[in-house]
Amino acid sequence: MVSDDILRTHLQELRRGTVVVASLVALRRPDYGYALLQRLAKHGFAVDANTLYPLLRRLEEQGLLTSEWNTEESRPRKFYRTSDEGESILRQLLDDLAAIQISVTGLTEGMDR
Amino acid sequence: MNSLTDRYLAATLPSVPSARREEIAVELRGSIEDMIEDRTGNGQDPGTAEREVLTELGNPERLAARYADRRLQLIGPTYYLVWLRLLRLLLSFVPAIVGTVDAVSSAATGEVGVGGAIGSGIGTAIEVAVHIAFWLTLTFAILERTTPVQGLGDWNVDQLPRVPVDREMSLASTATAVAWLLFGIAYLPLQHFQSWIESDSGANIPIIDPALWSSWLPVLLAVLVGSVVFEIVKYRVGRWTWPLIGVNVALHLAFAVPVAWLILSDRLLSPEFVQRFEWLREGDNLGTVANVTAVVLAVVVIWDVLDSVRAIRRRHA
Repeated sequence: MVSDDILRTHLQELRRGTVVVASLVALRRPDYGYALLQRLAKHGFAVDANTLYPLLRRLEEQGLLTSEWNTEESRPRKFYRTSDEGESILRQLLDDLAAIQISVTGLTEGMDR
Repeated sequence: MNSLTDRYLAATLPSVPSARREEIAVELRGSIEDMIEDRTGNGQDPGTAEREVLTELGNPERLAARYADRRLQLIGPTYYLVWLRLLRLLLSFVPAIVGTVDAVSSAATGEVGVGGAIGSGIGTAIEVAVHIAFWLTLTFAILERTTPVQGLGDWNVDQLPRVPVDREMSLASTATAVAWLLFGIAYLPLQHFQSWIESDSGANIPIIDPALWSSWLPVLLAVLVGSVVFEIVKYRVGRWTWPLIGVNVALHLAFAVPVAWLILSDRLLSPEFVQRFEWLREGDNLGTVANVTAVVLAVVVIWDVLDSVRAIRRRHA
């Protein structure tokens, strides 16, 4: 019986890269930190706040996200949006994700035979 | 205002990149307030909500490190192996050499006894080891933080250490060692009856104090016999191992320590033998001979042990 800790570590490893993909997809519609966190959670991407906030900054520094301050509401909020560059990276990441899925399926079916 | 959120931000911001600190501060405060508002909206008490949110964000230094993309390690995987190899290499011989030199030189000046000299040598060796470890680690910790990954030279198959195909113990060296030991075993009783040194009346003078036959000489003989057995076992094993080195050290000490102690306390050589040679009686010549003998014994023992340790190091290098 494998311990829960081991399973959790492997799941974490598996999920790590998908947070970037999920964020880039979600931010095709501009959003601010906490709202994005909730949207991702609703779609099954449970990301920690202390991971997501620094990640958004890093993606912005890499030019994959653009940002804009919105001061119309009760408190100023920084809205992020996927940039053109981010969009092209995202397409390649999605292709790769699909390729992984196909490979895993192929491998699984190959094993059955 | 000194709310938990203020304190949290104050703890996070100093180690965040200064260029955009202001912006990060406003954004992070906004995010925290969003999170708290969401919880109070669900009927939670504001104080509890604030606590929960900050707990969820975790250690502010860790959060700041994530913003700064800073490494939370002293020496990371890039340098760890190089650091470890260098540390092992330097520690394997530098402290021992410096310690031995120190022990020999303080014994030579004669200001301290042999015990004091050995103590001083060990102290120096430990000091040197601590210095090596500290400065090497500091250097690598600085490298880790300043240099962006630079070419350490990729690993390639040519770096694989050679697996020793030759035996480390040749038959010739084992035979020589056994021969010397047997000679020593034979010589101890022989010199008692036939040392080729005669008194004026033509009687044989033993070199070693005959009084020792009832105390230390049997022990030394036993150690020599033990050493013969050890040489044979070592040859059968074919290479140095840590247990062999341990036994070797024990045998060396069992022989060298009593001999050094006896000669330093003027109990090794027989009084008649000392009487026979005028030079030995002059001034402190006997003391000098004793000191030199003790130091030579120490150097030989340390050299032999280091040599065996190096053999193992070579294999694992």
